[in-house]
Amino acid sequence: MFKPLALLAPALIPSWNFFDVIAPSPRLEYALCASAGGKPGPWQIFRPLPRRVSPLTMLGRLLWNPRWNETLFLVSCAERLVQNPTAHSEDEIFRRLAADLARQPDAGASKPWLSFRLVFLSLEGDDLVETELFRAQPRRLADIVAR
Amino acid sequence: MNLETATRLTEILLALALIQQSLEHLRGGRDEQALFLTRIGLCGLVVLGVSSPWPMVALAGLSLLILQRFQGPYNGGSDRMGLLALWCLTLSRLAPSLPLRELAFGYLAAQLILSYVISGGVKIVNPDWRSGRALRDVFRFSAYPVAEDLRRLADRPRLLMGMSWAVMLFELVFPLAMISRPTLILALVIAAAFHLANACLFGLNRFFWTWLSVYPAILWLQHRLV
Repeated sequence: MFKPLALLAPALIPSWNFFDVIAPSPRLEYALCASAGGKPGPWQIFRPLPRRVSPLTMLGRLLWNPRWNETLFLVSCAERLVQNPTAHSEDEIFRRLAADLARQPDAGASKPWLSFRLVFLSLEGDDLVETELFRAQPRRLADIVAR
Repeated sequence: MNLETATRLTEILLALALIQQSLEHLRGGRDEQALFLTRIGLCGLVVLGVSSPWPMVALAGLSLLILQRFQGPYNGGSDRMGLLALWCLTLSRLAPSLPLRELAFGYLAAQLILSYVISGGVKIVNPDWRSGRALRDVFRFSAYPVAEDLRRLADRPRLLMGMSWAVMLFELVFPLAMISRPTLILALVIAAAFHLANACLFGLNRFFWTWLSVYPAILWLQHRLV
């Protein structure tokens, strides 16, 4: 449905409530499997954080930061999938996962089906708790339009 | 700074910020490339001042297609400020009279002030922000820190409580900076440093450029009101 004016309204009358509460945070994990009904695994974290980023790299990212901004977009898609599920959010995550996998040699050669899950991190007391809130039905890698 | 100068400066800075964002999208899919190549071309016309105001009008129209493509802003708050600036500038350019031009441009400046004040207000009413726990959670498990090493800041509660209060108080008192030009410039320098820190620690580079692009609007409003 074409609804850009509804999407524009929150920008024209913004709420500006940045970080008012620190909500459970999604992690995107993916796995390959041999068949549509097969057990996916092992689950792997999508784009794990580097141990360290140098100050020079941080400053360089002021001008060129597409990979990180794409990762933040996928965080938005993950939150949308849990709050208000749409095919768009699921498709975006599949597309971008497949695009990353396409850059890895032999990815999906023996396991051509791709699935992902959303694990949300939150604190219970002082303990960090992981809760799986969404798992996508596997799709054949070859059928996903990566780009 | 008069209205025309401030509007033109904001247009140019916003166009440059949008070019920076658009270049990042060129590594995306073909549909993204088409949208953002078009945006780069229109931003170029804005910077050069060609055929004003029609490139701005086209950019505003294109923003609707981009919103539709991503079913919302691509990068949350930073894209929302970019959209707000784009539409306010376009409406200001198309407005048939000076008061209406000032109204559209002044609305943008007022929203910039509100972006700090409301953001500080929603934090200070939250006990987790007042104790520093909220910022600890940001570093401990949110998706924003750009490196694992930064998560160790979660183990420094006094530092985080100090940072939390510094951010909240600065955001809340920001409107007081409007009393004079020097205080406003000082506040904008501090705010820019805050956005720079967010860009470095959390990778929020779009916030830095987008918020800076709107600073001429608030400088104009201060001159207009005080």
